Amino acid sequence: MSEKSPIIRSRWFEDIPVGEFHVFGTHTFGEKEIIDFGKKYAPQTYHTDPVAARDSIYNGLVASGWHLCAIWMKLMVVYMERFAMGVRDGRRNGAGVGFKDMKWIKPVRPGHTLTFTYEIIEKPDRVVRGKWGVIRSRNEAFNQYGELVFSFIIDILAERAPKDKD
Amino acid sequence: MLYWEDVSEGRVFETGTLTISEKDILEFAEEFDPQPYHLDKEAAKDSIFGELCASGWHMCAVMMRLLADTLNRDEVVSVGSSGVSSLRWFKPVFANDTLRATITVTECLPSDKHSEFGYVKCAIDVKNQDDRKVIAVEMTLMIARRQQENTHV
Repeated sequence: MSEKSPIIRSRWFEDIPVGEFHVFGTHTFGEKEIIDFGKKYAPQTYHTDPVAARDSIYNGLVASGWHLCAIWMKLMVVYMERFAMGVRDGRRNGAGVGFKDMKWIKPVRPGHTLTFTYEIIEKPDRVVRGKWGVIRSRNEAFNQYGELVFSFIIDILAERAPKDKD
Repeated sequence: MLYWEDVSEGRVFETGTLTISEKDILEFAEEFDPQPYHLDKEAAKDSIFGELCASGWHMCAVMMRLLADTLNRDEVVSVGSSGVSSLRWFKPVFANDTLRATITVTECLPSDKHSEFGYVKCAIDVKNQDDRKVIAVEMTLMIARRQQENTHV
């Protein structure tokens, strides 16, 4: 029996193990999408103009660092939905609390393919608004040459299992 | 033009404002963050936010737009960013909220490896129309250095 839920169900905070590691998606950045994102949110010539970008320190067009973040989220949602298909009783998705140590390490150019990974590194002993726990993960993206290009550590809220569930 | 040498600790830049429409929220969410609380008003009521709101990454992108417009307006020769040491999401952004940011320079560091730019660390507070902080960001910008005269490459 499958019922389309208006909310993506996922595992309870208690059921997410520290150490879990996933390669959760890949994305190839096209020139048009890099320019579209740049024009809308990061209007600097090295994100918007392939010719002018040749005179920049990057010697060509590069994706905005925030575009990498948006693609990370897009791939994460697909991954969560796939994961949620086998979960009948679970938490609602929480919100992001914040992130730290975000590094844009190498330029991402048109045609580059990034592979995104995450590892659950910590479950801080905190209860937020009565029923939410914090899941801390290290997220990385590698290009087609195997070089680390992007990394950050993010805290996301996950709903704690109701007491009467045990 | 403002170069790395022209910017010092304590300098404050005030950005313009941007109003986020429901259409903006839905468009960003459809492309990058299709979770029900960013797409569907009914589903959002039962969510942690209680109401349809912008993706946190949309807020980051809007912050970047406010920042880029300000750098362009004030002719700061920005060549990029190396990263964000921290970012906190404090409050959701709802349809028709108007955002603006205050950018405060907290540290200026030369680059060991690069002679063409230096680092400028900034604390960026993004606030809504009620003057409530929605995100706080610590970001490191790369700003071009003045070209030395009589330098032969």
